[in-house]
Amino acid sequence: MRTVFYKSLGLVTLVACVVVSACQKKLRFDDSATPDHQLILQFNPVVDVDSLEFGKNYHNSFGEPYSIRNFKFYLCKVDLINTTDGTKYSINKDDYFLVNFADPSSTHISLDAISHTYDRISFTLGVDSIRNVSGAQTGALDPGNGMFWTWNSGYIMAKLEGNSVVSNQPNQVFEYHIGGFAGSENVVQKISLAFPLNQQVEFQSGRRTLMTISANANAWFGGQNAISISSTPVCTTPGVLARNVAANYANMFDVINIVSE
Amino acid sequence: MKRVVIILIIATAVLNMAIIESCKKSADKPGTTPIQFVIPAGFPATKFNFSANPLTKEGVELGRHLFYDGRLSKDGNFPCASCHQQFAAFATYDHDLSHGFNNQFTTRNAPGLFNLAWESNFMWDGGINNLEVQPLAPITAPNEMAEDINTVVQRLGEDATYKQLFTSAFGTAEVNSQRMLKALSQFMITLVSSNSKYDKMKRGQYTFNATEQAGYDLFKAKCASCHVEPMFTDFSYRNNGLPINDYLKDYGRMNITNKKEDSIKFKVPSLRNIYETYPYMHDGRFWNLSQVLEHYSTGVQSSTTLDPLLTNKIPLTATDKYNLINFLGTLSDTTFTKDVKFQQPQ
Repeated sequence: MRTVFYKSLGLVTLVACVVVSACQKKLRFDDSATPDHQLILQFNPVVDVDSLEFGKNYHNSFGEPYSIRNFKFYLCKVDLINTTDGTKYSINKDDYFLVNFADPSSTHISLDAISHTYDRISFTLGVDSIRNVSGAQTGALDPGNGMFWTWNSGYIMAKLEGNSVVSNQPNQVFEYHIGGFAGSENVVQKISLAFPLNQQVEFQSGRRTLMTISANANAWFGGQNAISISSTPVCTTPGVLARNVAANYANMFDVINIVSE
Repeated sequence: MKRVVIILIIATAVLNMAIIESCKKSADKPGTTPIQFVIPAGFPATKFNFSANPLTKEGVELGRHLFYDGRLSKDGNFPCASCHQQFAAFATYDHDLSHGFNNQFTTRNAPGLFNLAWESNFMWDGGINNLEVQPLAPITAPNEMAEDINTVVQRLGEDATYKQLFTSAFGTAEVNSQRMLKALSQFMITLVSSNSKYDKMKRGQYTFNATEQAGYDLFKAKCASCHVEPMFTDFSYRNNGLPINDYLKDYGRMNITNKKEDSIKFKVPSLRNIYETYPYMHDGRFWNLSQVLEHYSTGVQSSTTLDPLLTNKIPLTATDKYNLINFLGTLSDTTFTKDVKFQQPQ
């Protein structure tokens, strides 16, 4: 009887502890595993095979010369995947990151991961519909970051701005502010990237991995849909054009390098 | 022995519930005084998400300061209250369009601000999907307050009074856009108008005179399908047959949805406090209610998106109009327009 009492008391304490810890700590994982590996994502802007420098001239697939002065996007919900054993670890569920190539500190993102062998990474490019309708946000989603439409509520999911002599706009600018979260206007993209050469990489416990991902500005203009600066230099509202641009830039990423330390 | 185990299981459950409960409480803002939002008798359920932004005395007070503070605008001259005046039920009195930064006009008539807790989309075109993000539009519009949101946040963060007000409302002196917007929303949510003669009549505290009653009967027969009681709007977007304004070229709801079936549709406005909120329509084109009723009676223009309820217009006699206008006068709420709680803080 005494033993049962203590066993039961133990159960009470255990359950209470679990409840307490659930309420104190944000649960970051699908399972109970504790993060034991640091993953650093480094995003690098490129134009095809060249590194992108703001203000320098490049050409898109239409042969149009252009330079970039602003290149930003939101990402969230990062998953690590092993396609062989079918495991998927959601290493980040709720936090949003704004990658802004004008601000180098925003281009590397440190995440808590779980040691395992993986061969893919996936993430959401954009801001999910709930956050678009939930009122005032803060952090990466602060409207002061210049990625929120005030007149037609919603986040600009990705932004590419620059100049081109083929643009018919004032100051020869081109501006792609891509947003839209509702129904047929939804431009949120799920990105899934294989590791280089489809290799499997072991993320070891207590170690850290630096993963470099390139973001190709030229992908915005081509691929699935032809978007030339001369014909469509501006997109600043949700709709068909925004969806077409988003379908293009969904293919702008490549994992170019993984270094385990 | 079994009994001991059962008792312990119950104890576990109770303990867990207590812990979960304490969890919830810890999420509340420390040291604040909660405000219980009261739904007036006969009003429907609210739309505002109170759990995401619980009203507190301190939050509302901060919001009131912000609402009346010109420092939210570029040159200091345009607080929210410059276009939303309490004596006009928080519309702009006697202005078709309002004034903004650098001698500019707005492009639409400022609506009255009241009973916002029952709305889920804001502005004449419904383009803003949450009250909390509404102030971003006028603050940043170049022809309204014309200011950058980060500049406002920085300006307020350097002010000793605001440091104190933000601390009272949110526990620390940090000023950020989210806190500012949540506080502004809290103040606006408290702007409830529910004490007009009409409301008193509904509560049995007032009896309509013969003219008001005749107007009310007409209203129920001819107007209430869009201006649904007791909010006096169904919150829908409709084309009420106004010819397009050649200068403004405002296509309303279509600008938001990109759908041509939404062309020239605007939100059905509440008729509460209608005497105070003149002039009327989205561009303030009608300066009095006679003109409004004349429009519905004879002026409605046909178009592909005209509201089907207006296909045959709403023919009204001179007596009908007189009675209707008298009824509409019962929707004025002087308790609301004179409530000291909503005045500029001293």
